[in-house]
Amino acid sequence: MKIRSAWLAATLFLGLGGAAQAFPVGDPVGPYADPGITDKEIVIGLFGPQSGPLRNFGFDPQGAAQMWYDMVNKSGGIWGRKIRLVIEDDKCDPTTLNGVVRKLVTVDKVFLLNGGSCTPAAVSAQEYITREKVPMVMLNAAGDTALFPPTRYMFGAFGGTQLTVGGTMVDFIAKELKAKTLGYLGNDDDFGSANLAAAKYMAEQRGVKLVAVERVPVNIVDITTPMLRIRQANPDVVMITTYPQPATLAMQKVNEFGLTMPVVMAVQSIPNPAALVKNIGGTAAFKSFYYSSPLNDLTDGPRQQWVHDMYKAAFPDRTPTAFMAYGMPSAQAVTYALMLAGPNPTRESFVDAMSHLKFETGIMAGPIEFGPERRDGMNSSIFIKFDGTNAARMPGVFVNEYRGQK
Amino acid sequence: MGLIAQAVASGVVTGAVYALIALSLVMIYKSTDVINFAGGDLLMTGCYGALMVLAANAPFWVAAMVSVLGIAVIGAGFDRLVLDRIARHTRGQDIMVAMVTATIGLSYVLKGTIRALGYADEVRSLPPQFTGPPIMIGDVFLLRQDIGILACAALAGLILFLFFRFTRLGRGLRATAEDPRAAALIGIPIRRMRMLIWAIASAIAAFAGVLVAPKILMTPDMGGIVILAFAAGVIGGFTNFPGVVIGGILLGVIENLVGLFVSAQAIAVAPFLVIMLVLVLRPQGLFGGGALAIRKV
Repeated sequence: MKIRSAWLAATLFLGLGGAAQAFPVGDPVGPYADPGITDKEIVIGLFGPQSGPLRNFGFDPQGAAQMWYDMVNKSGGIWGRKIRLVIEDDKCDPTTLNGVVRKLVTVDKVFLLNGGSCTPAAVSAQEYITREKVPMVMLNAAGDTALFPPTRYMFGAFGGTQLTVGGTMVDFIAKELKAKTLGYLGNDDDFGSANLAAAKYMAEQRGVKLVAVERVPVNIVDITTPMLRIRQANPDVVMITTYPQPATLAMQKVNEFGLTMPVVMAVQSIPNPAALVKNIGGTAAFKSFYYSSPLNDLTDGPRQQWVHDMYKAAFPDRTPTAFMAYGMPSAQAVTYALMLAGPNPTRESFVDAMSHLKFETGIMAGPIEFGPERRDGMNSSIFIKFDGTNAARMPGVFVNEYRGQK
Repeated sequence: MGLIAQAVASGVVTGAVYALIALSLVMIYKSTDVINFAGGDLLMTGCYGALMVLAANAPFWVAAMVSVLGIAVIGAGFDRLVLDRIARHTRGQDIMVAMVTATIGLSYVLKGTIRALGYADEVRSLPPQFTGPPIMIGDVFLLRQDIGILACAALAGLILFLFFRFTRLGRGLRATAEDPRAAALIGIPIRRMRMLIWAIASAIAAFAGVLVAPKILMTPDMGGIVILAFAAGVIGGFTNFPGVVIGGILLGVIENLVGLFVSAQAIAVAPFLVIMLVLVLRPQGLFGGGALAIRKV
């Protein structure tokens, strides 16, 4: 998919363009009710971690968002206005992000905020943006705690929340692997709680019995006993949803214990499949191994190629991480909602437009969809079979049905 | 029964590593009264140092040696360039506060350096040196890597014991650790001895890191393991070398038994509950001297 045609398709999909006039040009007239908008431009505060230990989570996604906005500007902007970005570094740190958000709103007087790559940092801005009534569209933070329960001005989870990850994993395990029993290993934090809640719900819906549930601290040194208990329960499938280090320790135990049942790992557990194999010291544990992905293909698959080509053209000196593509749907959503909000948008009309947005990104596993009471954008995953050397996409897209219901 | 034995076996191995790190902390504490908060990050830097040398296609033993020696130099340099100056230019209780703060500073410098070198992106490991099928004893299977870790830790402990007990230098170091003022009176160069203690303690931390990296994996935050070494020290008695070793092993076993009989979530809390219990019931640790032997920092 060519990027220009994606933009054109979206414009037509949203019913705002025409065959002759793909890029909406209106007749903007001031004065404007909100700051950050003139006849010529809309100012957007774009932020993510540009430095610090968590830089990898957001540096490339922010670049992806930036290149989308550049493309929109080169195509004429939105309703005749160019997008002007004010870019800031939040270091994925709650205190820094709060300072960045306040500065963007009060000093730079942006129209809206597009940023946040780490949930704890992004959540910390919620109270402020709600009070100031400034729309904030998260960049690539999962943001469970920011989006459940939904609040008016905060949107996100373009790569899915942990509800999505947990729910879709069980959907896959039940439908594709035909499992009846499941051993679960997850985090003992908020992330893990959300993931497990969805996994439990979906297991009940699909008739899968959770025979072992082990939740481990993020800094666990020895994972022997949780894995012993899972082995003792002898489940049809082992599901691992921890952060990478405990997940790698768990796979070491799968290898050491000689477990032969399929293992399904969450996307956050396996940022680099090759590194996982290296750390385990061989491919024996990967005979029946799968992992989830919020993208529509392998990162080097044909459906992702256009994003990588576009990124390479925009930033020839950078080698993008696997997270890169996650940043673009967020910017897509912002531009589409600005189009829907009409030639003279306000922050409120932008929020209303976001609340009715539904579009295909050409990047993610499923559509981005918000609603009057829905602020998490994506609810689907694909699954990849990995034998330690080769990776292949499994057929189908798997959907989470859990949205916090009891 | 098999599950318990398996959990205990794994706990002993993990505990042996806690013990090694705790030995490094205790050496420094006994000789300088300084709690070394950088102990875990010296271990972490040792792991990444070995990884860098391995990346240059060096054999593992060369990487391990270079790493251990390199961290020894960092430890000695830190003592001479930072702690020694603090000791000479600060008075009274402020010395301890300044020294402990300096070790926290060293911890952040080491962590920041490793991150700046681009190692923060993923979990890494060092190649295991003891490979092959596990050894079965009844229901319990023992990994060769675990047996190797335990053997190396025991060997390191034995070498340290022999060095401190039977060599002239070792006795000088012990004298400095026990009573620096008396050691100085009988002509022991205590500045040099302290620098040596920092070098040896740092080398032990690096050795522990190289040993355990294939088992616990490497991230720039792995130095947090030092908290468990502190726990081992408190349990065993912070001034007692054999007590610290036993404290480390006990801690590893307790963690796993709690994981088995309570829940995996309780593993993180267990060491601190044990610390509190020990501090309340026997503040000098299980194998420490009388309560009055606890010194204020």
